[in-house]
Amino acid sequence: MTTAPALELDHIRRTYGLVTAVDDVSLTVAKGEFLTLLGPSGSGKTSTLRLIGGFERPDSGEIRINGRRVDHLPPYARDTATIFQTGALFPHKTVAENVVYGLKMHKIDKAESEKRVKDALAMVRLTGFEQRYPAQLSGGQKQRVALARSMALRPAILLFDEPLSALDLSLRLQLRAEIKRLHDELGFSAIYVTHDQSEAMAMSSRVAVMNKGHIVQIDKPDIIFHEPKSEFVFTFIGESCCLPVTIRNGEVRDKSGEPVDLKLARPPAAGEWRLYVRPSRVVMGEAAAAAENRIAANVAFAEFLGDVYRYHFKSGALELFCDYGGPERFQPGDRCVVGWDSAHMSVFQ
Amino acid sequence: MPELAVERSGSRGGGFQPAFLKAVSIAFTIFVVGYILIPIVVTLIMSFNDANMIRFPINTWSLKWYRDFLGSAQFTGALLNSLIVAIGTTIIATTSGVLAAWAFERYPIPFKNGLYLIIMLPLFMPGVVLGLGVAIAFGGINIFGFQLYGSRLLLMIAHSLWAMPLVFMLMEATFRTIDHRIVEASYDLGGKPLQTFFEIVVPSVSTGIISSALFAFVISLNEFVMALFLTDRDTQTLPVLMWLSLRSAGTPRLAVSAVILACAVFACLTVIMVWYIRQLRKTAR
Repeated sequence: MTTAPALELDHIRRTYGLVTAVDDVSLTVAKGEFLTLLGPSGSGKTSTLRLIGGFERPDSGEIRINGRRVDHLPPYARDTATIFQTGALFPHKTVAENVVYGLKMHKIDKAESEKRVKDALAMVRLTGFEQRYPAQLSGGQKQRVALARSMALRPAILLFDEPLSALDLSLRLQLRAEIKRLHDELGFSAIYVTHDQSEAMAMSSRVAVMNKGHIVQIDKPDIIFHEPKSEFVFTFIGESCCLPVTIRNGEVRDKSGEPVDLKLARPPAAGEWRLYVRPSRVVMGEAAAAAENRIAANVAFAEFLGDVYRYHFKSGALELFCDYGGPERFQPGDRCVVGWDSAHMSVFQ
Repeated sequence: MPELAVERSGSRGGGFQPAFLKAVSIAFTIFVVGYILIPIVVTLIMSFNDANMIRFPINTWSLKWYRDFLGSAQFTGALLNSLIVAIGTTIIATTSGVLAAWAFERYPIPFKNGLYLIIMLPLFMPGVVLGLGVAIAFGGINIFGFQLYGSRLLLMIAHSLWAMPLVFMLMEATFRTIDHRIVEASYDLGGKPLQTFFEIVVPSVSTGIISSALFAFVISLNEFVMALFLTDRDTQTLPVLMWLSLRSAGTPRLAVSAVILACAVFACLTVIMVWYIRQLRKTAR
């Protein structure tokens, strides 16, 4: 057993013509860690994953798996296994043939590989599906076969390339829980690429938020959520209300010039600022009486979202929203006080 | 309701159908089917004629000319030549056509469109032009005492001029249907390039390979003009021998030869169909 981390990226860079897809990315995945690369499309997360898998070569930098340098090796010589977005099952092979393929390529002996196929299919709850062809499976079953196919190899690191994004919501939640269960049981090391922040939050040991080819913040999910280091991370993770303001002589005014009564812990320098607050932290009505920051607002409109009503408020040039359960409390045009505590407010220029 | 009206008139079968047009078009369908079947059916019937001449009416039915065909060293030799040349053509054309199509579909190649046209060019060339060209270009070549002209090898090469573009065209289109992520998945799971090609790529396009190989076989089997230009008495193919003996004696033995050629073609088409259905069972629900 080596003590080296499962994966190390050391100042990786990859350009396509004039576009820098991955720009100076460094990260370390410890053994047994589940790291998510989270970012919008075009942020370089999939390119990073393809560099690790060996489908692309970095222009510069080093990739090490279990301490061994691999960035010059082709995908078949790397100890990684990818679960592709579409599963990428071999259509002319049965489920069992799909799962055994990698073992055959690695010349694992017959008895051992039969056992591994059986175990892998049991893990993803597909025992009895051995002789089916991929065309006879549902989307969720296909992804489970893809998962079994990769896990049967027992690679140093599993690479997930948005494996759930092609599935519908209920199936996505179900498989998400299943992947998490497998990780808890088996303790594999994994890199998971997604643009879905709830997926990232729910599954990961750590989350690396990517934007424009860079990792902008890498930390535990709760810290990413509660202590975002940048405006990008704040707005990309979870929902947020944005309040654009101007600060001059310590006075806060909205875009129309109306003064706004806000208690800023450290009053920022004069200039244009954007204040952010999570809608889940916004209170209204009587509950707002005790909040540190309060503004009087009009209800612009309400949306019925099923479990909750979402109320959109307007106060001068400021707009914000929050969700409330129970019956509809306000009608458009109603006046109401909304508030939040300063600790829940982030300020970015 | 305007949307519904459009829907109706657009759908086949329903709505207003002029009786006259319907009658004429059905009549022509029957004509086309009959027209296509007549030569095959007439030849088939004639092959069972006991008489010494290809002539109606048939007074006595017999398998006499089948026995005669199989007893004739000249005819069975020509059939054997045809089969050898067809198999050789299939191997040459399929191997090179499949690999060229793979390269063409997969990798960036300069002047791709121009090259595609050049590869397709022989398909539009008359057999006499190609036959003469091959005869002039390769006719004088003598490799260690082996005279290329008149050999089966030269005819295989000539037939490949038609078979290769056909294989290439079919396979280029087939390779385009491959999901390249399964190729990546194979590499990812440890499949080396050659293993991936034979384990993943080839089985995914097996229907295309089988059909293009059999088309190559059929093209070679049926080809007459180039074979006439390029073979001698020892290497002549069945169509060439048929033509030569039609000039001397038009016995029903010719009809038997034609039926045998037609049967070979039907056999090939059957194999393609069976394979296609087999693959379809796997990859479609």
